[in-house]
Amino acid sequence: MGKMRISFLIFSAYGMGGTVRTTFNLAQALAEQHEVEVVSVFRYRDRPFFEPGKGVRLTSLVDMRRHRPGYMGDDPEHALPARVFPVADGQYARHSALTDRLIGEYLGSTEADVVVGTRPGLNVHVARQTRRGTVRLGQEHLTLATHPARLKRLLRRTYPRLDAVTTVTEADARDYRRTLRLPGVHVESLPNSVPEPDVGSADGSGKWVVAAGRLAPAKRYDVLIRAFGEVVRERPDWGLRIYGHGREEGKLRNLIDELGLYNHVFLMGSANPIEAEWVKGAICAVTSSLESFGMTIVEAMRCGLPVVATDCPHGPKEIIHDGTDGLLVPTGDVGAISGALLRLINDEGLRARMGAAALTASARFDPSQVAARYESLMTSLVNRRAGTLHRARGTLLGGAYAAKDRIRQGVGYALEGARS
Amino acid sequence: MTQHCLDTPPRAEAAAAPPDAGSPPVHRVHHARADCTADSAGGLTFRVRLFDETAKEIKAPEVPEAAAVLLRLRRHHGPDASLRLPLVRTAADGGLRAVLAGTALLREGRWDASLVLADEEPQRLLPGVHDLRTLASHVPRETHAWLGVRIPYTTKHGNLTLRTWLRRPHAEAGALHLGDGAMALRGRLYGAPLTATACLEAHPRDSEVSPVRVPVRLDDEDERSGHGAAPGHGSAPGYGADARYPARGFAAELPLSSLLPGHRMWDLWLRPSVDEEPVRLARILDDILDKKRIFSYPPQRVTSSDGAVHSARPYYTVNNNLSVHVSDEDGGPAQAGR
Repeated sequence: MGKMRISFLIFSAYGMGGTVRTTFNLAQALAEQHEVEVVSVFRYRDRPFFEPGKGVRLTSLVDMRRHRPGYMGDDPEHALPARVFPVADGQYARHSALTDRLIGEYLGSTEADVVVGTRPGLNVHVARQTRRGTVRLGQEHLTLATHPARLKRLLRRTYPRLDAVTTVTEADARDYRRTLRLPGVHVESLPNSVPEPDVGSADGSGKWVVAAGRLAPAKRYDVLIRAFGEVVRERPDWGLRIYGHGREEGKLRNLIDELGLYNHVFLMGSANPIEAEWVKGAICAVTSSLESFGMTIVEAMRCGLPVVATDCPHGPKEIIHDGTDGLLVPTGDVGAISGALLRLINDEGLRARMGAAALTASARFDPSQVAARYESLMTSLVNRRAGTLHRARGTLLGGAYAAKDRIRQGVGYALEGARS
Repeated sequence: MTQHCLDTPPRAEAAAAPPDAGSPPVHRVHHARADCTADSAGGLTFRVRLFDETAKEIKAPEVPEAAAVLLRLRRHHGPDASLRLPLVRTAADGGLRAVLAGTALLREGRWDASLVLADEEPQRLLPGVHDLRTLASHVPRETHAWLGVRIPYTTKHGNLTLRTWLRRPHAEAGALHLGDGAMALRGRLYGAPLTATACLEAHPRDSEVSPVRVPVRLDDEDERSGHGAAPGHGSAPGYGADARYPARGFAAELPLSSLLPGHRMWDLWLRPSVDEEPVRLARILDDILDKKRIFSYPPQRVTSSDGAVHSARPYYTVNNNLSVHVSDEDGGPAQAGR
């Protein structure tokens, strides 16, 4: 397979979330060999928050910029409820008969060889509306386990029309295989990618613990702040910087004041590029109760920081080798978190060794490596679609990553003819 | 479907220049970015990257001899309101570099950074990736007689500007503790001797009323073990902006009830001795551009002699100077003023 035309369908490429970043990273790496476009259902801003990357074509379907003549937010069709985009997806309210139609028109007429949906609701569109002959790939950026029951039932019904589902962790891929049992659908875990930072690695001398992410309840920054209170009692020369905005901001501010930590714990707001902030620190902390992947863990590791992370489902333990390039601690355990932080704070040698190990280990998340895995998956799926069954099978089974799915793959080919 | 290709910024839409295999002429520069790196001696290096109209980087560009990074102090004119930093090609990668030496004296304010190529109009530089880690754990080691800080930042229009401070003497505010109706402050004085008659002064803003004064004591204990220690201020005793006056730690306690009579904004100053002018308390020796947003302190309830309840809260001004805001709200959040 030579050059492929690959299209990513995303809710909004103009936001600042993890899905946007990882989609752009992957798109840019794939664009070195292939023709890549990112189709944003909505456009809320003139320019995206992150750079989509060289050679990546960015287009949008629904212009939501009020100041523009092409503003579509007041289109009567946009006031009618969506019927294709599922009610069970958390972003249902933003979608409408208009998005149903425009997404459908796009998918029905696309020239792409491969279309990639980036959230369940869009994967349903991809499964149901993509023209024949185009490979349909659905990405899961969250986890199956955290989806509501009715969304899971819908996915079980709809996803069999996809060619493949990718998850960001092996644990979630296992969940998909075990609980959804999608006949003929290739399920594979492909991590998010993080490029090599544009700044030199951290040298471990900055006396800052750094955390970054939306100030959302699941990030449990309250636990981190309490744990850091214990750190400060022993090491008042260290500080904690938390980057990001979110609805927990007021609560966290009050907690900092209540614990008298206003000289040591700082809510920094958002920063871009974040790597310039990681390298000022010596340790990264992630204390979430849920982390479907854990982008910030990889980002910090790529900057040479050892990470103290809670062993929450699912990401951290698939990224961190506990005791080698970071430390895993029980979720919500203030004492364990402060203990792990102090272990690294008090041992410069350990910090340096783990930081160096983190730098080496995190190279596997480089966009070139992740894109190569996507490329080989996409190539085999395109070949399979084209009916070159034997060659496709050879390619697929040749990849070590596909070994676990050997049997299911066979089922997939058997059912190929039954698919619409 | 609305379409736009980000590789083609709006103002270049009409002119899609054909790719040029040879050494790209300078006139093809569409925009330029600078990655700033702060060094431990107070200097700042600009690594300038040039891009053509398709947003593609022009590798190893040929630039005229006179090419420079131009810094211009906003709202000021005159010889000390602009500075040209020659752009030099580095042997290592052929990239362009300009250096603002730690010893260069820049007036306090906002300096807009532009790229100058030959006789062309200066073109505003865009920000790149800045490496300011040396500022984040700042230990002033300047041997010259003043303290200067330069923090590159992105303006609201997306351009590169340097925020600078230039102080001598300078009173750096450190850890601040609130409780029991008082504000306990630790700090460090640079460039002036701290005497037994030193005091902390709270000046009511926009008023000629005499300031509230409290005594200041020397405080040179090791910050690592000290009770009031805080991160980001690891300066070692003996290092200072002026070798004649080694930096000295100080501590003071200001009863907030002393700030009640009628005034809302109080600016804090340190008077090193009865014979010297007071020095404005500020927090400038780190990588944080806008302290007001990030250094936040809980409001303190203070009851005045007539029984009225006030709320007092220390805050950093837009210039990173330390002030206290007093409001009438019954413990409600005080809106910090400018």
